Amino acid sequence: MSLLTLDNVTIRFGGLTAVDTVNLEINQGEILALIGPNGAGKSTVFNLITSIYQPTEGTISLAGKSLVRIPTHKIAEMGITRTFQTIRLFSELSVLDNVKIGAHCRGKAGLFQAFTRLPGMKREEAEIEEKAIKALEFLDLATKCEEMAKNLSYGEQRRLEIARALVSKPKLLLLDEPAAGMNPQEKVVLMEMIRRIRDTGITIFLVEHDMKLVMGISERIAVLDYGKLIAEGTPLEVRSNNAVIEAYLGSGKFKSRIRR
Amino acid sequence: MKKLLNNWIVQVLLFLSLLGLTAYGSQMINDIIPPYFLMIAFFIGINLIMALGLNLITGVTGQLSLGHAAFMSIGAYSSAIATVNYDLPFLLGVLIGGLIASVFGVIIGFPTLRLTGDYLAIATLGFAEIVRVQFTNMKITNGAIGFLGIEGSTTFPIVMTIAVLTICLMVWLENSRNGRAMLAIREDEVASSAVGINTTLYKIQAFAIGAFCAGVGGALFAHTTTFIQPTDFGFQKSVDILSIVVLGGLGSIPGTIIGAIVLTAAPEILRPLSNYRMIVYGLLLVVIMIFRPYGLMGGVNLRQALRRAMMFPKKKQAGREE
Amino acid sequence: MPILNNLMQQLVNGLALGSIYALIALGYTMVYGIIGMINFAYGEIFMFGAYAGLVLALTNYVNVYVALLGATFITMVLGVVIERVAYRPLRRSSRLSALISAIGVSFFLSSLMVRVKGPNTRGFPTLFENRIFEIGDFQITIYQIVIIGVAGLLMLSLHLFVTYSKMGRAMRACAQDQDAASLMGVNIDRVISVTFAIGSGLAGAAGVLAGIYFNAVQPYMGLLAGLKAFAAAVLGGIGSIPGAMIGGLVIGLTEILGVTVNLSEYKDAFAFAILILVLLFKPSGIMGRKANKKV
Repeated sequence: MSLLTLDNVTIRFGGLTAVDTVNLEINQGEILALIGPNGAGKSTVFNLITSIYQPTEGTISLAGKSLVRIPTHKIAEMGITRTFQTIRLFSELSVLDNVKIGAHCRGKAGLFQAFTRLPGMKREEAEIEEKAIKALEFLDLATKCEEMAKNLSYGEQRRLEIARALVSKPKLLLLDEPAAGMNPQEKVVLMEMIRRIRDTGITIFLVEHDMKLVMGISERIAVLDYGKLIAEGTPLEVRSNNAVIEAYLGSGKFKSRIRR
Repeated sequence: MKKLLNNWIVQVLLFLSLLGLTAYGSQMINDIIPPYFLMIAFFIGINLIMALGLNLITGVTGQLSLGHAAFMSIGAYSSAIATVNYDLPFLLGVLIGGLIASVFGVIIGFPTLRLTGDYLAIATLGFAEIVRVQFTNMKITNGAIGFLGIEGSTTFPIVMTIAVLTICLMVWLENSRNGRAMLAIREDEVASSAVGINTTLYKIQAFAIGAFCAGVGGALFAHTTTFIQPTDFGFQKSVDILSIVVLGGLGSIPGTIIGAIVLTAAPEILRPLSNYRMIVYGLLLVVIMIFRPYGLMGGVNLRQALRRAMMFPKKKQAGREE
Repeated sequence: MPILNNLMQQLVNGLALGSIYALIALGYTMVYGIIGMINFAYGEIFMFGAYAGLVLALTNYVNVYVALLGATFITMVLGVVIERVAYRPLRRSSRLSALISAIGVSFFLSSLMVRVKGPNTRGFPTLFENRIFEIGDFQITIYQIVIIGVAGLLMLSLHLFVTYSKMGRAMRACAQDQDAASLMGVNIDRVISVTFAIGSGLAGAAGVLAGIYFNAVQPYMGLLAGLKAFAAAVLGGIGSIPGAMIGGLVIGLTEILGVTVNLSEYKDAFAFAILILVLLFKPSGIMGRKANKKV
């Protein structure tokens, strides 16, 4: 069953078509990877799904509900959370606070509760803290609770971003180059973590450059080149697909792949 | 014991007794210290209330505002009109001052949806100038001549009680879902909306609450000096309040308290220097910034330090709030 | 056509006032473009320039050009010293700390001037005979011609300097990416010093021009002029040099127009009202580049 559907999605920035009539379905419970050369429009797809950009044409829907024109902050509430290609943590706040903020969309307390601190608000706070600590334990960061986010190592920061995205129990988790800047051991651990996250019932859609990781964990791979979807299939199919080989390695004939 | 302290009713009682104690203590101080020092203490309290409001806008939510004096003036004038022209009781006047300032806080909060950083700063500055010019040309405020005949109803216990109340409310706010959302906006707006924070809502909330504090401070100010004129609320005043917040340490409540004390008292302490007073004050700002660029309390996180110290007992009963 | 003539007249007046704002605004915009900081002390540098011009003008054998050049030179040195002492140590810390430091500097300068020259408004000695030219039905004073001429000349030379000189190229590089510029061998400290020197010099020159034009010099004259010039810089799109010029002219013209339509009590609010209106429709100013939200 498809969870997220991209239907003829196109976005143009001025004259540049960054994403060009992409049709893609992400099935419930799978790990789908989106790959492609630099500048192919992969991160743009994520920004479209999270409503940071609005598609020029086409629709995106989550379990049948359209996401177009829905403000970004509502997207998390609907069950899609993400990480960023360049880490975007709340760097001057503690690790625990970072994750607690991730649970924002599952909380209800408003100003009244903040100022009265009635038992209901305290219960909610306790629940959020409990969830946050669980998420941190899941990503092996529980011992760093009180550390400031900016003081974590690079790999830890990437994991913290995932914890922040996980704590609200999303249906779909978008990971934008989660392995970037990690060393080989960290990558192995990361692969294991991604699988474990999927096993809790969360669908995973990731953009990644590291082929070993992509081939190792994805069930399906979609390939984007110049904003167009050029292939889609199992790792094995994609690996032997001619269009993909051409996109990555050139066509054999001398042809510059560098735009302008 | 701990369970008892966690009981809501017990906490409310503790809180009320804290306020009562403040009122009683400040009444005692009121009776013993000389009027000159009492006046300084008055202004420390009033500046603190306003600075805590600005700290929420600029320190916690990260929206640079250079127009805090405008909210103060709105609070001052509307409370003065309420008590003088409409004979309303003083505390109601203070509340009205806060509320009207808060309404303007929401209005000025709207440009923040589109403007960031320095553009917002100049827009708030412009707003403040427009408000000042408006007050200079209004009949009901008696224009540039100034509003006379306000009763000196502000007492020291009232200032101190409201100041302590504001501190408590700010601490609670910072440790709530709303406060965390505001901190997140300061740190990274894109990431905030990606985790589901309605950045618009919380920015406007911060402006509304911050302006409310400034309005209350302005109302107390008007009923302390008994005479207000538009020049009391110029750019200089906005800068004074901003200096308190930045010098104390952006986003730090203890820092704001220290900043309010230091910067309100400094010009008075420097008074013996007479003509050189403001020269030294200017130098002082530069020197403090060079040696403590993140403010006097910048980088010192009391809550975190406290938590770290209590980390061990905390783990045993995980999930308990503070 | 009396209305048209009146309009032309106001246009000339607005142009003269706007040139002064534009000169100060250039300092704000250049410093902002390079180190991303609001140098709030510019208003006070402008005031210092006016006083320097005044002191020079009071010595008998100095003519207007010497006063102008002298004041420009003095404020250039002042600007560089301020940057060294009060801003350089804060370059790596938060921008707000630098802002507060700048505010400290501006307190220092204005209260220092009160101490040295007294708080009262001083007249400016006549450096040259004011003459009025009648063109058709509207008048232009020689003061206005000098102000518009000097301002225009300074802006043109600034434009040529930034566009064609080696230092100008280095400045543009620093505005784009300081680290990359320094890796390419640009001496960042020198570029910043030069930027402060030029910006402060322009503000100083504006101070002398304003002193001549209004025949009034006062220790607190910098505050409102600085704020309006800052508004002008933001209005034009902060960081953009042509933007600062346009912004200054727009602010000067609106102010004069406000006076013309009999709203002179609201004169000081006009600049800011226009600014807020423009920002609401064009959040990064008239000439500002649209900030790209890179995610």
